Amino acid sequence: MSTANALRELLRSGPGLAGTALMVLLFVVALYVLLAFPLDFGESQWSNPVVWVDNPKAVPPVWINALRGGTRPPHHVFEGTEPHTVQTARSGPVHTWRFPFTYDSSHPPTFLAVTLTDVNYAERPPLLLISLKRPDGKQLRIFRHAVRGPREDESGPFKRYAQTPLRVQLSTDEATVSAVQEFVADEFGLRLDGAQIGGRVDRILFGVPGDEADEEFAPLTGDYEIIIQAALRAEGDSVGKVRFVVGGAVFGWMGTDSLGRDLARGLLFGLPVAILIGISAALLSTAIGTTLGIASGYLGGRADIAIQRFSDIVANVPVLPLLIFMLFIIGPSLWIIIFILVAFGWPGLTIQVRSMVLHMRTNQLIEAIQSLGASRRRVMFRHILPQIAPYVLAQLIFAAPSAILAEAGLSFLGLGDPSIPTWGQILETGFRTGGIYVGYWWWIVPPGLCIVLTALTFMLLALGIEPIVNPRLRQPAQ
Amino acid sequence: MIGVFFLVLLLLVLTLGLTGFSDRILSATIGEQLRGERTALAETIRDPDEMEKVLDKRREELEIFYGLSTPWYYRLPRTVLRVLTLDLGEARTLRSFDGSNRVFDIVTERVPNSMLLLTTSLIITATIGIIAGAYLATRQGSWLDRFVSAFAAVSFAVPTWWIGILLILILSIQLRILPSGGMYSTPPPTQPLARFFDLLQHALLPVITLVLVSFGPSIYSIRTITLNIAQEDHVKIARAKGLPESRVRLRHILRVAAPPIVTGLMFGLAGSLSGSILVETVFNWQGMGRLYYDALAGTPDENVIVALTFIFTLMYVVIRIVLEALYVFLDPRVRYTD
Repeated sequence: MSTANALRELLRSGPGLAGTALMVLLFVVALYVLLAFPLDFGESQWSNPVVWVDNPKAVPPVWINALRGGTRPPHHVFEGTEPHTVQTARSGPVHTWRFPFTYDSSHPPTFLAVTLTDVNYAERPPLLLISLKRPDGKQLRIFRHAVRGPREDESGPFKRYAQTPLRVQLSTDEATVSAVQEFVADEFGLRLDGAQIGGRVDRILFGVPGDEADEEFAPLTGDYEIIIQAALRAEGDSVGKVRFVVGGAVFGWMGTDSLGRDLARGLLFGLPVAILIGISAALLSTAIGTTLGIASGYLGGRADIAIQRFSDIVANVPVLPLLIFMLFIIGPSLWIIIFILVAFGWPGLTIQVRSMVLHMRTNQLIEAIQSLGASRRRVMFRHILPQIAPYVLAQLIFAAPSAILAEAGLSFLGLGDPSIPTWGQILETGFRTGGIYVGYWWWIVPPGLCIVLTALTFMLLALGIEPIVNPRLRQPAQ
Repeated sequence: MIGVFFLVLLLLVLTLGLTGFSDRILSATIGEQLRGERTALAETIRDPDEMEKVLDKRREELEIFYGLSTPWYYRLPRTVLRVLTLDLGEARTLRSFDGSNRVFDIVTERVPNSMLLLTTSLIITATIGIIAGAYLATRQGSWLDRFVSAFAAVSFAVPTWWIGILLILILSIQLRILPSGGMYSTPPPTQPLARFFDLLQHALLPVITLVLVSFGPSIYSIRTITLNIAQEDHVKIARAKGLPESRVRLRHILRVAAPPIVTGLMFGLAGSLSGSILVETVFNWQGMGRLYYDALAGTPDENVIVALTFIFTLMYVVIRIVLEALYVFLDPRVRYTD
């Protein structure tokens, strides 16, 4: 059967079509990830808490609001480099950034945080002021920060917050708490002490006091504006980047884990890794299995006996305990995992290929080629291999899911490669940190679904190919 | 099967030896012991030089005692012989339920728990497989038949332990019907009957998990085996003789299908064993699988991990031998030809 015909037949069968479509989809996504993500994503981003510091922790995905009809507050990040307006005051230029946004959630933000990067000044340090303008017209200053002045033995120009940006969590900042205290006293005539405000800064800033109980603040929805001002002392002084975060209780397409990591990114990166594991383990073990199977079946004699004995033993080794043991001793590494999966994955195919070759050895074509004086190697690889190749291909695709599942299981036991995030590892953190017992389903369900989907794609493809390459399963023509 | 056992032992020795892991462990043990002795000796020996001399001498003694002075390829085979006699050493931090630190105690008290889970689910899976498989063989090509083969294919793509997590999430966190883990409630009921039902309640989810993932493939393979045999001539003859259909199915189809079914079980065993390691971890079932997880988490306990790998292989080999004996019992041909 020609390749084109085989392909047509593959696409005609249900599983074949579904498997091919899914496989194309997976490869497109994997290719996108490889191009869009840095290759050291695991080390430089995933395991680096600094990257995720401004994300809300352990929150569900954004679409949960539409699904459950809730109004969990969305996550807002405002970032500015070039100032929106520049005025000149007596003390020097004033750079202003204005970030308007509409807040319509019935819950307060989960946190407020400001980050300041790359401040340069010639002589006197600049002053940073942040105000919040509320829908009811009230405005209050929530943050005031004087950049650290020159040290004794330091000479200008001075650079601040270049390597480590200044990050302040306003919700717990003492100065902000007292600013809020003043604000409620002036505007609403409420006398609250620090303890009453602590932990409720966001609720008060984004709310108005309720009717009867002055403890309660009802949420105030409408248009807010965050105004960030940098009072610079000289022309040429600058603030590189300001960033203001209004923490939400939903995040992205897939939510976040307890470290605030964007699960969508982790899940995306897991795809090329899973495909790599599946294909490389399957490819290598199939290559070994086929070679040994052909050799065993064609050469016969002592080589046959030796190979059969050996593959019989290896086929019966309980792999998981051994995998755990070896990874524990050698250290967790993706390559070791693949290596061991290959080392124990070949015998099944060897036994099958051998029996096919045994049948083939006696057929006239092979006999004719032998009598022409072809070398044994030539017969095995030029004449026998092409005949069993389609069958081997189906087995190759069948072998991929088990490698993916094995890696996931090992990662789940905490033996995953720490430098490369995989779906199993995401599940492991969700399980180990107890995310499962508090019902963080968005952390537990999607990685498993990804594993199932990828493994299933290979399975469907193999099921579609099998009847084509295995004549016994081919359905009679209708 | 003996070959399997020796291959595993050989691999254990090679990994421990070639990576220098065994040497590292031993020098760590010796270092620890010396530190303890140094504080004890500081009471009597004041001179620091003399102290060093005494300690060096002691170190040499210890190295000979622990065998660090001999290369690993002489030492480790001896260790293996020791392990073979089930002398498994002592655990670093893990303790058995009644406080013993002997690895043997820690591991053996968990073997029954693991076996309980494994055999229960294996028996349920096999029973469902035989009943449903034999039934489906008579309904070849029906929608149910096609559904089961699709379901079996999907089962291969699903990680068992993830199904366990999902069941916890749905049944014990959301609906609060079943306990999410452990083997008994705290405190465990004292009355034997209540205790049994408590265990049953806790075992339900892990067993369901194991069965859910394995019963599809089990039905499918038994269906295929039965189908092949049902098409053989002797079945036609039995029917032609006018034997009742139930007798034909039991005596002429299922009885003949028994040996290959057992073979199927044997091949599925390694998978179930791996599945149960992970499922025990998910459900905090105090078996050997969970012990793996506990020994790996935090400060790893090498002795326990070595012992577990050994015992797991041993257990696997023993079950295989039992199944093989069953096979010989079921298949007269094997008995008569040898």
